Amino acid sequence: MNKEFIKFPLYVIMHPFNGYWELKYEQNKKLNLILSFGILLMLILTNVLSSQYSGFLVNIYNPKYMNSLMEITYVLVPVLFWCAANWSLTTLMDGEGKFVDIFISTCFALLPLVIINFPWIWLSNVISMQETTFYYFFNSFAALWSLYLMFVGNMTVHQFTPSKTIVTMMLSLIAIGFMAFLCLLFFSLIQQIITFITILYQEITLRN
Amino acid sequence: MLKRKTKLRAYLLAAICCVFGISAGGSLAYAADGDSYNYSVWGDTVVSPSAYEATTLMTGTSLGIGAFKDPSDLHVTADNEIYILDSGNNRIVVLDINYRQKAMINSFNNDGVADTFLNPQGIFITEQKHVLIADTGNKRVVHLDEKGQLVQIVEKPESDLLPGNFDFQPVRVVMDKAQRIYVMAVGVFDGLMEFSAEGAFTSYIGANRVWVDPVELFWKRLSTKAQRSQMVMFTPTEFTNMDINDEGFIYATSGDSGDTIRKLNAQGNDILRRTGLYDPQGDINFTRDLGPSRLIDVDITDSEIYSVLDSKRGRIFTYNGDGQFMYVFGGMGNRIGEFNTPVAIERVGDDFLVLDKAFGEMTLFQTTEYGRTLNEAVRSYYRGEEDKALQLYKQTINRNTNLDFAYSGIGKAILRQGDYKDAMRYFKQSLDQPNYSKAFLLYRKEVLRANFSTIMTVVIGIAAVTLIIRTYRKKQARKRGVSFE
Repeated sequence: MNKEFIKFPLYVIMHPFNGYWELKYEQNKKLNLILSFGILLMLILTNVLSSQYSGFLVNIYNPKYMNSLMEITYVLVPVLFWCAANWSLTTLMDGEGKFVDIFISTCFALLPLVIINFPWIWLSNVISMQETTFYYFFNSFAALWSLYLMFVGNMTVHQFTPSKTIVTMMLSLIAIGFMAFLCLLFFSLIQQIITFITILYQEITLRN
Repeated sequence: MLKRKTKLRAYLLAAICCVFGISAGGSLAYAADGDSYNYSVWGDTVVSPSAYEATTLMTGTSLGIGAFKDPSDLHVTADNEIYILDSGNNRIVVLDINYRQKAMINSFNNDGVADTFLNPQGIFITEQKHVLIADTGNKRVVHLDEKGQLVQIVEKPESDLLPGNFDFQPVRVVMDKAQRIYVMAVGVFDGLMEFSAEGAFTSYIGANRVWVDPVELFWKRLSTKAQRSQMVMFTPTEFTNMDINDEGFIYATSGDSGDTIRKLNAQGNDILRRTGLYDPQGDINFTRDLGPSRLIDVDITDSEIYSVLDSKRGRIFTYNGDGQFMYVFGGMGNRIGEFNTPVAIERVGDDFLVLDKAFGEMTLFQTTEYGRTLNEAVRSYYRGEEDKALQLYKQTINRNTNLDFAYSGIGKAILRQGDYKDAMRYFKQSLDQPNYSKAFLLYRKEVLRANFSTIMTVVIGIAAVTLIIRTYRKKQARKRGVSFE
């Protein structure tokens, strides 16, 4: 059990087709969920540590704008938006995946971002400017790997053909745009209402 | 990639800020009254002590030569003689180092006839004290020798490169050591006009690139031919001014977007070093309604230090040869040290003269202690006197901890002295990655060399232990008769 905890996610990212199949049909959902949240947590931790401890040659970060709490939103918000957008689309497009499945497959796909970028936080402190090429290479490699895993995961979860997967992924991105817009609209309206009520309250209290 | 990531985050943050109604724009470009400012490595406007202070205001009357009328250009020779081009009065006033009138050029002898100027706009004095005047109203460039005798007159050139109806209105002129004349003329978009020593037009050099606004281009694509002919044409921006340094490189400023300061070599290529954190361009933080700086004059001194004049805000920005922003002074207003229509700047030694066209005044700025130290620090570094530069840079940061490029200067000096770790610290402070990397490589080598035996012992030790464990396990496995994975 304990060994499985570490071994299974690694198996998934190394053998995505078999791994995602097992993930969807054979594994314990609860365990997977715990693992998913664990990966998200690790990704957040990696990003926070990276902005603080990455080498000076690859990381110029204005301490004035450094905010570890924001790093959490930079991970959670895109993941949740992605899952919601993908789920809303695929339910209309005969996808077999449930929301949980999508969330789990997405989280597992983010694992390369942790296991490659985390050691590089420390390695980037002992490299020179010429060697930063390796840093950027590995960063891009991790990102591409994650993207590939996301593609395979999506395909397996929904039982889509590759081309249909690509189309739904593109459409999900557009849907994310719509959702972001609606959120902004919603927040700004709420804000207006709150201001209106506050002003009204002030007006009334000052009348006496 | 990293930068893009940060940028993306910045956008996201900005979007979130907008939602919560916090305005993120409109950085303040103005410093506290009387104080100067500088830009931090993060692009923020930070306070800085003044490097220059206005000390004297000179008018034509106070100099005893009658009021100036729309003076438009200044030139100071190497031995600090000041030539003022008093355009409205069509004369050139020459002052000596103590600001007393030395000579006045009203006219010159042109083939036995006394000839005068008409609204001249530009003046240049060569090392031999020959005077070149861009005689704009008469559409010619007049070249006089040191005694005021006519050498030659350059008039509208005949060339296939020029259109037939070309109107030659020179406004600025410089001459290099090979006696070639470079002329900036009104309505010429192809660059500076280069004339040979004999006054024959040879070519254009250093044309500005056309800058196209994508939005405008889009509308132009959509519009009809008739509409398009009504629109503004995309033309390269005109130069606004130029100056030449001792090495024969022309520094030219241009009005609008893009690289507004350029250093042209003989081929007309831009070779200005822009290794500072921000490209030399005047203000980098500005309000949207006033827009970026409009640079209209440039002055070069020794050690590749150059200054530019912003006509919008009346500020004079000074940069060193690496493009690092040293200091700024001036402003618009009615008090001393402020201008109405500044048109020209020149250095007299380390002092500055700023000419105001509408007021017909000349303001003299002199260095403060801080300005002197900083000037001298940059000069010593340029000459390669690292120890002296180190001392002076340390003094400047004692006066102004916000002067971020000084830390890089200190870092370079102590890197040369062999203190790599400390140098790294200083480079980090001024976000100087290339130099940090240099210091780091040396430091890494030093550490690895010092600890070579320890490191090798550990590595060999680990290798040996793993080997022993492996063989031991294999042996155990063979004993039990189970194959190990």
